[in-house]
Amino acid sequence: MWGRATAGIVPGFFLAAALVGLIGWALPGPWQSTLVGGLVAFFPVWVGLACLAFAFRDGARAWLAYAGLAAAGLLALWWLRHLQWVQ
Amino acid sequence: MVIRFSSGTLRTFTTLHTWVGLCAGFALFVAFYAGAITIFHHDLMVWQSPHAAEQPVGTLDDAQRLLDGTLARHPEARAWVGMMFPGEETAQPVVYWPDAAGTWHYATPDDPEGAEHPPAAALSELVNALHYSLGIPVAGTYLMGIVSLLYGVALVSGLVIHLPKLAEDLFALRPGRNFKRFWQDAHNVIGVLSLPLHVMFAVTGALLCLVMVVALALDPLVYGGKLAETMPAALDTAPQVQPAGRPQAPGSVAMWHARAQEAAKAQGLEAFEPVYLKLTHVGDANAIVEITGEAPRRLGALGAVALNAATGELVASQLPGRRDANHATLSIAYLLHFGEYGNAWVQWLYFLLGLGGAFLFYSGNLLWIESRRKRRQATQGKAQVWMAKATVGVCIGVCVAISAAFVAAQVFEARAAAWDVPVAAGVTWTCFTTWALCLLWAALRAPARAARELLWAAAIVTALVPLAHGAATGEWLWKSAAVGHTALFAIDAGALAMAIAFAWLARTTARRARTGEPNSVWAEPHSP
Repeated sequence: MWGRATAGIVPGFFLAAALVGLIGWALPGPWQSTLVGGLVAFFPVWVGLACLAFAFRDGARAWLAYAGLAAAGLLALWWLRHLQWVQ
Repeated sequence: MVIRFSSGTLRTFTTLHTWVGLCAGFALFVAFYAGAITIFHHDLMVWQSPHAAEQPVGTLDDAQRLLDGTLARHPEARAWVGMMFPGEETAQPVVYWPDAAGTWHYATPDDPEGAEHPPAAALSELVNALHYSLGIPVAGTYLMGIVSLLYGVALVSGLVIHLPKLAEDLFALRPGRNFKRFWQDAHNVIGVLSLPLHVMFAVTGALLCLVMVVALALDPLVYGGKLAETMPAALDTAPQVQPAGRPQAPGSVAMWHARAQEAAKAQGLEAFEPVYLKLTHVGDANAIVEITGEAPRRLGALGAVALNAATGELVASQLPGRRDANHATLSIAYLLHFGEYGNAWVQWLYFLLGLGGAFLFYSGNLLWIESRRKRRQATQGKAQVWMAKATVGVCIGVCVAISAAFVAAQVFEARAAAWDVPVAAGVTWTCFTTWALCLLWAALRAPARAARELLWAAAIVTALVPLAHGAATGEWLWKSAAVGHTALFAIDAGALAMAIAFAWLARTTARRARTGEPNSVWAEPHSP
C-alpha cells in the first residue's frame, strides 16, 4: 500500500508535470496562453495518477513505471524546447 | 452497463477510501459547513453591521472624497490602493491599501483614518477563514490544499468501490433494522448525485490553496524558469508598467467609471457596473487604474478594464466574451468555486449542496464506526469510541461554534465600544473557545450523550441567532420581511430552520440511544 501510495505522490508528481508540460507546449499558440489551464489541469492529473498507481501489482513496479515515464517525458519536453520544435 | 473490478482491486480501493476519508474527513466537514455559509458573505456583512440595510448607497463623489482623503493622509497608499465602489456589495465605498510592513488598512467615510479590519466583516471573515484554512494562519491554507487532494483521491476511490453497483443502488435508500445499509445508501446517493460538484470543488480547492507552490515547482520542470515574467500577464488585466517619474494629476473616479463603461460598450457589453478598482503609482504619468465590474447576464460576469489613470486611455481589458485563454479559465474556475453565476437560486443550491457535502463526510465517519461495531457486546473498542467522540466534538462542535460566532457578532457590535474589545477579536475568541469546550465535552462524555447534548446546544445557540440580531438592531425577522430586506430575513429564517433541524437531530439521537441496537457507541445502557 505505502509503496504504491508514495509512487503516486513522488514520481506521480513529476509524471503529471511532464504530461501537463508536453500538452501545454505542444498545443498550437504560445505556451504562455496554456499557463492557467495547465495549472488547473495539473491537480486532477496528479490525483488521477496517484489513484492509478494502486492498479500496479506492487510499489516497486509503480515507482519504476512512473519514474521512468516521468524522466522520459521531461527529457522529451526539454529536447523539444531545446530544438525549438514547440513554443 | 456492468463494470467489473477484481476483488483485490476493490479491496485496495476500499482501504484507500477509508484512509483518505479518515485523514481528510474532519477538515472537509468544517470546510463544507463553513463554506455553505460563506456563500452569503456579502449578506453576512450587512447582517452584522447595525442598520447597514438602511444605509443610503454612496455616490461617486463620496468615493472621490474618500480616495483623495486617504491618499493625502496615508502616502504609502500611493503605490497601491484599492477601492470598492458604493453599490450592491457595500453601500458605502471602502478604500484599502497595504502599509510598508504589508499590513492591510481599510478606510470608509465613517472611519477615514482606517482600521486593520474591513468594517462589519468580522463574522464573514471568520467563517471564510474556517472554510479555507480551519482558522489556522498561513499553514492552514496549505493544509486545506493537501486535504483537497486527498478529497480527490477519496472521490475516485469511492466511485470505483461503488461503480459495480452504481446503477442498481443509486436510488435505493433502505431504512429498516440494518442501519449500516441505510447510512451506506445515503452516503452513496449524495456522493454520486453531487459528484460533479465535488470533483469541481476538489480541483478548484486544491488550485486556490496550492497554485503558488505548484507553480514554483513546475517553473523549472516545464516552464524553463520563465514563470515570474509570465504570471502577471496571465493573471492580471493591467500590464506591469514602471512609473515614468513624471508627475501628472490623476483623473477623477467619475471619469474612470464613465471610461470603463465606454470601453465595455465598445466591446459589445451594454451594461458594465464597476465593483472595485486597483490604482497603482497614483500621481505619476504612468499611473494605472484597473476597474473590475460586472456585466449582468454574462457567463463569468466579472471583467476588468485597465486605464491610464491620468488620461483615461484604455490600456488593456479582459471582458466577458473577449478574454484570452488564461483569463477565461481563471474566471470560470473562480465563478464555479464561489457560486458567482446565475441568481440567488444558485447560491441557495450551493448552500444546500454544501450542507449535503458536510453530511457526506459525517456519514463517512459513522460508517467507519458502524463497520467496526462489536455486535455481541455492549463495550465497544477504544478506536470506535474515540472516533465517535472526535466526530461529535469536531463536527457538531463547529456547528455550535459558528452559531456562537453569529450571536457574538451582534453582541460585540453593540457593546464593543463599551467593553473596549475589538469586534473581530470578540467574535474569533467566542468561536474557538466554544469549539474547544465542545471538544472537551465530547471527550469527557459517552458519545451518545455528548452527541445529544451538543445537538441541543447547537439548536439553542442557533435559535439565539435571530433573537440576538433582533434585540441588538431592532431588525426582527418579521420586520425585515415586511420592509423587503430579503437577505437579512433569509439569514434569520435560515438560522431558525437550522435550529429546528438540530433539535430534530437531537431528539432522533436520543431515541436511537434509548430504543436502538444496544451494542453500539450510540446506545445508552438500556434493556433491548
